[in-house]
Amino acid sequence: MNVVIKTDNLSKYYGRAQEIKALDNLNLEVYEGETFGLLGPNGAGKTTMVRLLNCIIRPTKGTATINGYDILKDSNNVKKMIGLLAETPGMYEKLSAYEFLEFVGALYDVPDNILRDRIGNLLGLFSLYDRKDYLLEGYSSGMKQKLLLAAALIHDPPILFLDEPTSTLDPRAAHMVKDLIKDLSERAGKTIVICSHILPIVEEVCDRIGIINQGKLIAIGKIEDIVSQTKTTNLEEAFISLTGGVEEKELLSWRELRSATS
Amino acid sequence: MQHPKWFVIARNEYRVNINNIRAIRRPFPYITVAFLVVYVLYLAPMFVNLFIDDVLTFIISKAAIPMVQLMLFSIFFTMTVFPITNTLRELGTKQLEIFLAAPVKPSDVLLGEFLGKMPFYIIALVVVTGTFTALLGSLGLNFVQNAMIIAAFIMVFLTAFWIGTVISAILRTRIGKSTRAKDFGKGISAVIMLPVVAIIYAMIGGGLTEALIDPSTSGAVRAALDFLPSSWAAEIFVAFASNSANASAIFLENLVRFGGLSFLFVAVLWLGTKLANRAYSLESTTFTAPIAKPDGLFYKTLRGLRGGGSSGTLLATVFKDYSRRFENLSFIIYAVSLVVLIVVFLEGPNEGAGLNIVRQLNIMPIPMISGFVVGTISRGKRTLFLYKRAPNGIIRFVKARLLQSWLMAVPIIAIIATVMTIIFTGATLVPLLSNVLLASFRTIAMVVFLFSLALLIPFFGEESRERTGGIMVYLMTAIFTSIGFELGFSSTGWTFEKTFPNIDPYIGMLSDRLLETSIFLLIGILLLYLGIKKLNKIE
Repeated sequence: MNVVIKTDNLSKYYGRAQEIKALDNLNLEVYEGETFGLLGPNGAGKTTMVRLLNCIIRPTKGTATINGYDILKDSNNVKKMIGLLAETPGMYEKLSAYEFLEFVGALYDVPDNILRDRIGNLLGLFSLYDRKDYLLEGYSSGMKQKLLLAAALIHDPPILFLDEPTSTLDPRAAHMVKDLIKDLSERAGKTIVICSHILPIVEEVCDRIGIINQGKLIAIGKIEDIVSQTKTTNLEEAFISLTGGVEEKELLSWRELRSATS
Repeated sequence: MQHPKWFVIARNEYRVNINNIRAIRRPFPYITVAFLVVYVLYLAPMFVNLFIDDVLTFIISKAAIPMVQLMLFSIFFTMTVFPITNTLRELGTKQLEIFLAAPVKPSDVLLGEFLGKMPFYIIALVVVTGTFTALLGSLGLNFVQNAMIIAAFIMVFLTAFWIGTVISAILRTRIGKSTRAKDFGKGISAVIMLPVVAIIYAMIGGGLTEALIDPSTSGAVRAALDFLPSSWAAEIFVAFASNSANASAIFLENLVRFGGLSFLFVAVLWLGTKLANRAYSLESTTFTAPIAKPDGLFYKTLRGLRGGGSSGTLLATVFKDYSRRFENLSFIIYAVSLVVLIVVFLEGPNEGAGLNIVRQLNIMPIPMISGFVVGTISRGKRTLFLYKRAPNGIIRFVKARLLQSWLMAVPIIAIIATVMTIIFTGATLVPLLSNVLLASFRTIAMVVFLFSLALLIPFFGEESRERTGGIMVYLMTAIFTSIGFELGFSSTGWTFEKTFPNIDPYIGMLSDRLLETSIFLLIGILLLYLGIKKLNKIE
């Protein structure tokens, strides 16, 4: 299988003495046509990794290649290969959905004649066509998420990075996105990297997963392998076991003060 | 056809900027061009003809160079600061991710953002240069000289706006990622225009122009002013205009100035594109999160003012939320500075004798300070709903915010009243006490009035631009209501002294002011009652 994403000791440190290791010596390979899930607790380094691989920030040390292009030397070609749905993406609230997709398409050099049809098709796919001329400030968070997915697909890239793709979607739209991810991978041969906390989605669509904690990749493989290695029964238990377990607490201890205040 | 990336970004920026006139977006450029053609060919010459004699007299006077220098410097500073202020108000780096993830060069982003805003600046430029063309036409200058003057003006504007665009792009990414830095940026945006306001006030009433003409008083300031690029354009204009009969004699001199301006423009443009890579980055600059300190004496005192308990906690909380936003504090600094500038340059000791100081305070300083205070505290739809869902929440909300406004506005006015009384009338105890007490009472009434308006016509916008607009509405309402009330009360002709001839004149005047403010307070209380009713109904 072709390796399309390869990281080589990819690291990003912050702080004066570089004491904050957002990502530490990441070595990872993702294969062509694969759907790869990246799991990790909040602040584990997932978004840092996505930003590094999309050439949005530069690594402190190490490097990575995307489809053979080095992120340090060939950033423009890397960017052309990738469609990104960011964790906290910015939108132009004063543009309509059509205008926003037209703008993003032009940034990625999609030819005008292809762009017009593609915008229509993508808006239709995400059930936004009837609202194509509405300003984005009037869109719900779910509609914005759909539009951002459409924006990530607008240049039909071979590799997709989707950071929490279904977090704000209703069940029906989330189901559609899951089916879309499967189709993109199986029928269109796209390589997809998904960062998500929603474990059922990861379980359903990902061929392999990686678990990242405190900037380090602590597990990688097929879900069933990781579950068996951790001697747990499902992905949730495996994830909790790998990332530090659950702190035992008396969950109703706060009520003891009630008698003092009432 | 593939468009260059800077064009795509410029078009997007233009679309975002004309969002408010979407309905006429297509005909807008044609309407604008038609208007500008009419202005340049017909309106500007007509306008210039109205006062051409005065202008010609001015141009050959000694005041011409410093006056035009100051005007152009003010425009230069404003054009530089304008994009910076806009950026600082709404610091956000989210949209940068779109650019940084796409195959786009940072210099394209910078140029695109610059050019996207340019159409609106070009309108202003055409109006200014159109007026100058009309003016120059009557001076008998030839085409090259006219072109040189207009090109110099355009270069000054573009240089200033480009510098502002580059600085704002750098600021956006440097300080846009930390909440504290963002807040600091918003704060700076409020006070950044103060130097220009100070220059304008000093020109109008401070004798700045006269001082610059006088060589004995203007040495260092003149030298500094001559060094500024905006002054080179001013000198080109004044030199040609005042030597129109013999313009060729100073042509070489002006050519050197023009060359300097052109070099500066190209150098600034080049440097800006070189800095673009630094201007667009999402690298985190800080990982420190702001930490709240334990309550000190100030907050403990505030809690005590409301007798401790939940009311004290509410008052301390609204103060904490307010004072931890640097933007609010800088609005107050801005308001106080404006009041000082107005008192120093536009008003004077002659107008402020005895109780007249209170009238002086009633017209500008009190409405301004109260307007800024009420304008800055009236924010936050979400926090309002926190109160609404609590038992007796609205009354608690009103009490806490009203008390907060008084605690802020009254001490500021008391200090201003003290300083003005001491400086203008000498430090005698009775006028000092009566001025301070009357001014404080009027501030209490003004705050009630404005706060009631804030409840009746709330501005809930959390965006800085909307908030600044809201503050300006409160400010204007406060000033015009105050002036109207003063005029209305005076026009009745009724005074204590006329009604009770035996009364001491000073006590009579004091009583007039007290009665006037009491009526104002009663109106405020009535509106407050209506405001609370309205607030209870808001959903």
